[in-house]
Amino acid sequence: MKILIVEDEKSLRESIKKYLDYQGYVCEVADDYASAREKVLSFSYDCVVVDIGLAGGSGFDIVAELKNTVSKSGIIIISAKNALDDKIRGLELGSDDYLTKPFHLSELNARIQAILRRRNFGGDKVIIFNEIKLWPDSRRVTIKEKPVELTEKEYNLLEYLIASKGWLLTKAAIAEHIWGDEYLQAGEYDFIYSHIKNLRKKLLDAGCGDYLKTIYGSGYRFSDV
Amino acid sequence: MKLLTKTTIYFLAAMVALLGFTGVYLFIRFNEGLNERSDKEMLYEELQWVNYLQSATSVNATFRLHSRDISIYPTDAPAESLASVSDAGQLPNESGIMVPYRQLRQIVGIGQVNYQIDIKKSQEQKLALVRDFTRIILVVFAGLFLATLIFNWAISRRLWRPFRQSLQKIRSTDLQKMQTVHFNETNTTEFNELNATLNLMTGKIYNDFLSMKEFTENAAHEMQTPIAVIQSKLEILLQDNNLREDQMASLIQVTEALTRLSRLNQDLLLLAKIENNQYATTVHISLRDVIRKYLVLFSELIREKHLNVTIELEDDLIVTMHESLADSLISNLLGNAIKHNFDGGSLSLKTTTHSFEISNTSRREAIPKNRLFSRFHMNTASRSSSTGLGLAIVKKIIDSTNLRIRYHALGEVHTFYIEK
Repeated sequence: MKILIVEDEKSLRESIKKYLDYQGYVCEVADDYASAREKVLSFSYDCVVVDIGLAGGSGFDIVAELKNTVSKSGIIIISAKNALDDKIRGLELGSDDYLTKPFHLSELNARIQAILRRRNFGGDKVIIFNEIKLWPDSRRVTIKEKPVELTEKEYNLLEYLIASKGWLLTKAAIAEHIWGDEYLQAGEYDFIYSHIKNLRKKLLDAGCGDYLKTIYGSGYRFSDV
Repeated sequence: MKLLTKTTIYFLAAMVALLGFTGVYLFIRFNEGLNERSDKEMLYEELQWVNYLQSATSVNATFRLHSRDISIYPTDAPAESLASVSDAGQLPNESGIMVPYRQLRQIVGIGQVNYQIDIKKSQEQKLALVRDFTRIILVVFAGLFLATLIFNWAISRRLWRPFRQSLQKIRSTDLQKMQTVHFNETNTTEFNELNATLNLMTGKIYNDFLSMKEFTENAAHEMQTPIAVIQSKLEILLQDNNLREDQMASLIQVTEALTRLSRLNQDLLLLAKIENNQYATTVHISLRDVIRKYLVLFSELIREKHLNVTIELEDDLIVTMHESLADSLISNLLGNAIKHNFDGGSLSLKTTTHSFEISNTSRREAIPKNRLFSRFHMNTASRSSSTGLGLAIVKKIIDSTNLRIRYHALGEVHTFYIEK
């Protein structure tokens, strides 16, 4: 899977690349409009992560350029502007998603995976982690081929944990992914604990390995290591 | 006080003084003229008498005359060269009515005899004349007075029309449409200067408004990007398996503080944007739908706290409000009602066609009225999880619409009441 990261802020670009490299993607980077345009015209990517505010042009133009070349790339816009108009404009131009800065890297990863899954018509649409299988379209879960009943929130949580496997997720990152940005209004994340507890119990009851680890009471990691 | 009233009052004061002075002057002159005339008549009469006496008393006989108006009698006093004329006070006339008299006195030597001549003259006719004269002057002055007032009023109205037009234009202008406002040329130099200045000013205000808007957007961009950098670096740091527990705890705390900082930045920007009327809209939305959306979104929190929820959403409250603001309004109010509630407490929401009421139980003290909607006023207990801007945002949103908000606390129950 090849991903192009278009971001003019060097440190952020490096963080994204480091994370996506870790997730096993092949990443290329561009730091301004001209080089980004050249790259999307010359090569084909499975997904393009593009910032709106670029030196020499707008990220919207990159999105339009991609659509002109009838590219099959998934497109995620990352912007510091949390403006409804920009979101609508991005989606109208043909981007698949819009992420407002600051974002969790694990959130970006989850969104990229969702887009790649939607675009990958040929491949099977099953997420597999050892004995766990997830069918995102029907939101079904089986463990050792036996179905497990999960609530919608528990399913989302499991999918997110598997998408970020091996990665420490803070409570805030989980809350934002499952309940959205708005939820920060309430300012409390402790309720996540009970959801995690319920999910772990259901997985263990179904004979699943104990992959879900609590790290010093401050975050969670899904890992078989 | 209106300018017209003010100028009229000054004008009246000046007019009264001027007319009063003129009136008194005219009266005195007229009176003097009349006196002079009657004095001359008396002198002429005296002359006639002297002539008569000289011709009639050539022999050494004495002459005496005593009538109402004239008395002539011999006297031992020396002759006077000049006649003295003066007011004689009130004396009865033929009909016995007291009227003012004027009298002439002179001692004249006729032959060897000196005669005292007294001539009195009734001032009755003169009084009547003075009365008529005064009446005419008063009527003329009153007419002048009235005419001046009417002219002054009419002229002022006409002259100030361009001023009032400009004023009306300024009043009906809002910041969003300021670039379309133009103050037209008039035929009065002063108003032209005023309008030219107003044109310049509105242009400047609009440009400032534009750059302010731009600044707001840019500030968001400029601040969110470094926050995004810090957050991504922290997230990568957290993955280091060699971290000690205390290091990890510090990193988590930094992450949480950063989330608050980002939240704070977004809230301040939202406030600035509402103040700049950037959410002006004519769209009607159902507040009931927004409330339902957030009840679903916050359902876990409500369940977690075992809140007893009473919902009366039979009637819908339709408001003219930007979608984002409606979301912000409800998420803030509902978020607060859950956050400040206690385990097993209650929460009630009610909408009617013209109001929305949300009340919750809380062990917190009632919020002081003067600090209810002020920025960064928060309970010490919520310092770590709140930006302190929630209610300020709520108030700003309410103020940007035609709604009103009230708050009251009764025992443990805190209620916010929004009405049209």
